[in-house]
Amino acid sequence: MGATNLRIAAVVLGTIGLYTVVCNAIPQVESEVPREMNLSGDVTPEQLVSAGEELFNGAGGCTACHGLGTRAPNLLTDEHGQGTIGARCGTRKPGMTCKDYLHESLVKPTAYVVPGYQPIMPDMSRTLSPAQIWALVAFLESQGGEVTVSAADVKAAAPAPAQGVAPAAPARSATTDPVALLRENTCLTCHHLGSEGTTIAPPLDHIGATRTADYIRRSILDPNADTAKGYEKVAGIMPKDFGERLSAAQLEALVRYLASRK
Amino acid sequence: MTPESRVSFPRLAGFGGLVLLMLGAVAVPAFAQQAAAARDYGNFPLVGGRGAIWIAAEVHLMFAAFVLGVPLFAVTVEAIGIFGTDKRYDKLAKEFTRLLLIAYSATAIWGAILVFFLSTLYPKFWTYMSTIFHVSMWVYVGLFFFESFTLYLYYYGWESLKDGIRKKIHLGLGVLLNLWGTAVMFIADSWLSYMMSPPPQVSTDTAPETIRLWSAMANATWMPINIHRLIANVVFGGSIVGAYAAYRFLAARTDEERAHYDWMGYVGNFIAISSLLILPFAGYWLGREIYQYDQGMGITMMGGFMSWLWIIQAFLIGVLFLAGNYYLWVGMARIPGAERFTPYTRWILGVLVLGVLVWSTPHTMIASRAEQAAMGGSHHPLLGFLGVMSAKNTAVNLMILSTFLSYLLYRRANKRPSVSWARAATRVQAALFAISAAIVIFFGVYGYFVTAIVRIGFSVYQVLSVIVTIVTVLVLDVLMLRGAESRGAIRWGQMPARSQYALLVLAVTFTWLMGLMGFARSGIRQHWHVWNVMRDTSPWAATPALGYASKMISVCVLIFLALIAIVFWLGGLVEKSTYAPPAAAGAERAPERELAIAGGAD
Repeated sequence: MGATNLRIAAVVLGTIGLYTVVCNAIPQVESEVPREMNLSGDVTPEQLVSAGEELFNGAGGCTACHGLGTRAPNLLTDEHGQGTIGARCGTRKPGMTCKDYLHESLVKPTAYVVPGYQPIMPDMSRTLSPAQIWALVAFLESQGGEVTVSAADVKAAAPAPAQGVAPAAPARSATTDPVALLRENTCLTCHHLGSEGTTIAPPLDHIGATRTADYIRRSILDPNADTAKGYEKVAGIMPKDFGERLSAAQLEALVRYLASRK
Repeated sequence: MTPESRVSFPRLAGFGGLVLLMLGAVAVPAFAQQAAAARDYGNFPLVGGRGAIWIAAEVHLMFAAFVLGVPLFAVTVEAIGIFGTDKRYDKLAKEFTRLLLIAYSATAIWGAILVFFLSTLYPKFWTYMSTIFHVSMWVYVGLFFFESFTLYLYYYGWESLKDGIRKKIHLGLGVLLNLWGTAVMFIADSWLSYMMSPPPQVSTDTAPETIRLWSAMANATWMPINIHRLIANVVFGGSIVGAYAAYRFLAARTDEERAHYDWMGYVGNFIAISSLLILPFAGYWLGREIYQYDQGMGITMMGGFMSWLWIIQAFLIGVLFLAGNYYLWVGMARIPGAERFTPYTRWILGVLVLGVLVWSTPHTMIASRAEQAAMGGSHHPLLGFLGVMSAKNTAVNLMILSTFLSYLLYRRANKRPSVSWARAATRVQAALFAISAAIVIFFGVYGYFVTAIVRIGFSVYQVLSVIVTIVTVLVLDVLMLRGAESRGAIRWGQMPARSQYALLVLAVTFTWLMGLMGFARSGIRQHWHVWNVMRDTSPWAATPALGYASKMISVCVLIFLALIAIVFWLGGLVEKSTYAPPAAAGAERAPERELAIAGGAD
């Protein structure tokens, strides 16, 4: 019986040992915590690029999609003859500089979705600090382009020290023209209206025929309250802060306009 | 020692564990709130806070899976014994239940350890969770109390409730035990699934007092995890019972004992492998819900730093398929007539080995620019071809079909059908296998020529064709073998020792796989206690690489197996085997009627 017990122990330990050895023989990748970087003050573009590269290959988690070229554009290699991301970023959106486009892509990823890809990128401002986001922009610019991010961008993005005075709110458009509001708030990046927009999210052309004003209002203010059938895959993509972005008059103008689209 | 004093140990241990758990669940939240005011995290010698929680949670979970899985099939086996009038099954059910009795105490003790560790090592997080879930924690303790008493009634009432209507009442107790256990698991699942997928309206600024209990419980991944765990528990319980039977077989001193534990090992393995075949479908559902909840989380899980984990999973499941089939093939040597099927096994082995190789081929790897340049692109040419889901889905489905074919051959080995349409039915069965394999391969190849969205849909056709084939072939087989002539009785007990070591490998692999999947589920939250709501700011916030995780998993598996060995040894002290010697068992032998679970009925 002693020999049998020894054989059983050998089989058990051998099996466990084999699995442990195999797991230690494969590439070891740890999911790092995005660490705070001391990038304020007189940080140089080179330091920003270096910090951005570290984030891109590590805690930013960017390579899970952007390193492949199947789920998202590969940023480090040429795409359709347009060069690497630093070379092509300035031509993605007309009138937008490379720096602004890359920054918008990180903090408002659904504002522009490269044709052929799904809007799956998360808002990186939820996990990275403003300084880290500028570092990523600097690194991406360096991939075939000129680094234009500077210490001033980092400084401007840093939270203002508390001085007992509330910081001024960002300027908000006062227009109540619903179509202008749809354009300003980049709704047509996902929705379709007239000859504009895409069909990533439900089209707005005849939305009033099937939805009430109350439903439309709720969908703007609380986009996760209900998901239109057939669009489950993009649930959660729509920003949830339109209640803060729009004034009451703007919201009601938008609701009235959409409800009238029979 | 009197019989009463002997049975008092598990009862005492059970009550001890229960009291510990109740103390933990009820008293600790208040303590934790005081502690939270002072610090966010505690430390633990040698392994740190995370290591201590990891071990406590994983070992608790392994015991919990065992004590939830075993009653599920113990009551099923008891029902087969009652309605099939075969007392061997009733005795087997009782032996299963005896195995879980002391394991139940260990589950409660490890649960209490986990609660105490959480409240002292992660007081802020524990305060947050108990603020939201405290009512469900009270309900949990109450249900656990009922579950314990039902278990004791079920086991200790076995002899006094063995005849007539009383036996049906006893069966009802078994069903009730499962209901309590399932409810307990569902509640615990709501806590951990909330950590993965809190409701979208909950943010870092949401005060936990304002979160409604039901909205927190009924989160996006709750039900998929419930179903996945329910099936996985049966798989796990079956494999551990199989290992127990293997150990007893190897230690047996008489042919009768060997015959009994050979049969027990077969039933345990049958339950484990047949449940394993449906587990991937529950896994797909869970994965889909994770993707729908948060694409980023889904991508992290499948394509980010965890991509290699799924290669290891494929390797482990490959071992399960190979060991499960090997056990069946070796077992065919004790079945008269099985030799006519022996030539087929080498082809099945070929399909299985090829399937494992394809399934274990990595596709998405995080590569640096230098590595990408060395490969000539983001994918290695060969890996890019074999590592995609089209190839993997094809491999998995063919492996499932092959394993089912092994079981069918085993089942028919000593039968000679007596119905006139047997030959035609066998041809239909063969045609179904061929058509299903052709469908699986066709969509596997076609998947390379369509877009990803279309390709994902193909897996549904592949799975459906396999399920339809399995069900249809099995129904045909059961009908065809009614009243079949026997080519000779199965020589239970005449199994080489190596077959029993295959059962042990299966149990160890299932346990290790459970640890790996636990790491996957927990690790995809990365540095968040509650995904995008409560950040982990402890020194152990980074999610470790697979090498470190594998060492932790191995430690947990070793602790669990060492304790379960003690539990089984104690079980042996409490009561001798329920095996009935041949003189008494002669009248209880299985009738000629076919039972799907038993393979060859003899």
